[in-house]
Amino acid sequence: MNKLNRMAAAARHGAAWLLPAWRRDWAEAVWAEAHEVPPGLARLAWRAGGAWMLAREGLLPRRIARAAVFAAAAAAAALAAWPGSSASLATTADRVYVITMVLLLAGLPLLARPFLGPAGDSRAARLLRAGTCAALLALIPAEAAVQQFAQTPPRGGADLRVYRLVASPAAPKPWDGAAAALLFAALYVAPILWMTSRRSRVAPATLAAGTGAGVALGLVMYMVAPLGLSKAATNPWLPGSDVDPLVVLAWLLLLCGPVAAAVVAGRRCRAPGSSPPPAGARIRQMMAAGLLTSLAGALFVTVLGTGTTAVMLKAAWLRNWLYRGQHLWYGIQNLSSDLRTLPAIAYGHELTGSADAQVFLGICIAFPVIGFGLTALVAMSRTGDAAVGRGGPGRGGGGPPGPGDPPDGGQPTVTDDDAGLAAGLPGLHQPGPGIEQNQLGATLADAALQPAGTR
Amino acid sequence: MTTRSGFSAQTLSVLAALCAQPSQWQHGYALARQTGLKSGTLYPILIRLADRGLVEACWQDEPQPGRPRRHLYRLTAAGLASASGALADAAGPAAEPAAVQAGIRRARAGARTAPAARGAVAGVVP
Repeated sequence: MNKLNRMAAAARHGAAWLLPAWRRDWAEAVWAEAHEVPPGLARLAWRAGGAWMLAREGLLPRRIARAAVFAAAAAAAALAAWPGSSASLATTADRVYVITMVLLLAGLPLLARPFLGPAGDSRAARLLRAGTCAALLALIPAEAAVQQFAQTPPRGGADLRVYRLVASPAAPKPWDGAAAALLFAALYVAPILWMTSRRSRVAPATLAAGTGAGVALGLVMYMVAPLGLSKAATNPWLPGSDVDPLVVLAWLLLLCGPVAAAVVAGRRCRAPGSSPPPAGARIRQMMAAGLLTSLAGALFVTVLGTGTTAVMLKAAWLRNWLYRGQHLWYGIQNLSSDLRTLPAIAYGHELTGSADAQVFLGICIAFPVIGFGLTALVAMSRTGDAAVGRGGPGRGGGGPPGPGDPPDGGQPTVTDDDAGLAAGLPGLHQPGPGIEQNQLGATLADAALQPAGTR
Repeated sequence: MTTRSGFSAQTLSVLAALCAQPSQWQHGYALARQTGLKSGTLYPILIRLADRGLVEACWQDEPQPGRPRRHLYRLTAAGLASASGALADAAGPAAEPAAVQAGIRRARAGARTAPAARGAVAGVVP
């Protein structure tokens, strides 16, 4: 019995750290009281109850609950992405991607905690972390479905001929999945972990400004190109041209959104009292807001766009809705007359959409580069203004001031964003693989507009 | 199950035990004996009551030799008012859960039959 009591005491010592600091007195209280309980089963039961109290108060509501939600979401994403032929390279790459991404999402916060500290106390920080994790998890099954569809040739018949005309000949390699996961971790998980950590001192208002502008950018980008940046899937809600208002708005948000968020964050950065905030603190807030805008925008449109493509592969109604009007003929121009049948056209659309969705990966790389470069320019210029006396404390609310000087290497550098700009929207209104713009006859259009569930 | 006052039957029994001697500090084990609750149930209730400002807690000033300091509990003024109202509600119509009535009876009986425990508690309260 004494051994059991000692084991229970050891378990209690091990579990007490799970309680918040203001709850640890209670753990001490229940254990101290055990000395008043008669030795034997009664005392053991008392301590077991204490251990249960520890679990309820500390373990379940906080860490276990969060870990359980993450584990459930990761398992659901992995299960949805796992099916496929083991012989397929695309399937292997997807599985490597799933495993790597889940491990990174689970492990990076733990690895970063000694350096960055715990997550920030603000609701904005918690929501941003959770939202990023949810978005990356949601991307797993969507990306897997699209990749497997694009990379898996049909067994034969007309679909195989369409596949050879439309699909990309490059076969994925197993390590492509790990490379993609590492890319997301480096470009998205790590910066957002930093921004939402307590030690980074990024203000909640900065997080809100960056996320809000990013979501707006992502939403407009998605409305312009729900299936990737190709003319085939461009703007199904509007006539679709290179200068339609939505495209112009997307460009404006891409180029001006990070700058606007950075300016707002810089103006809201205030030091205690009436003294102006240190330059480093202001730069930090501005850089975080600008970078977050492009990160959130790219991630938002990637998840929505890839998800839409994945759903389109399963839902004929969505395909028929997205490919209508002038978009009907994209991706199928190269089909010979004997392939201009309803099933072959539908398969061609799905294949073209899957191939075009890969452009989102380019967006995920280009947008942060653009956002970082533009924000760095603005931050440096405004800081220079402040140095000559033309900049003062902003009028808005109060973000935390941040440390006096930025850390070494923390000063943003002006990057050459020309490459990023060129890569940002190069494919906008450009045909996807194997696409040439021409128009078929009205007969073909009428045929393809009909439900295509018989392929 | 909660009562009309919003307290569970177990919470009402704890309130009843504390109400029996509202001015005196009581120990967790004594409360457990009076209410019949296990430690895993009693302490979360005490934590919730303390969070809501209905119960105050402190550490014993002079522990017994060879024993750790004990935690002491009693109702605050707000807790006494809230507990009185809740217990009055619970003791009223027979529509209240039997568990509440049983808890209150048990608490009151425990308060009558455990003078040694009360004395021990009272002896260490500054």
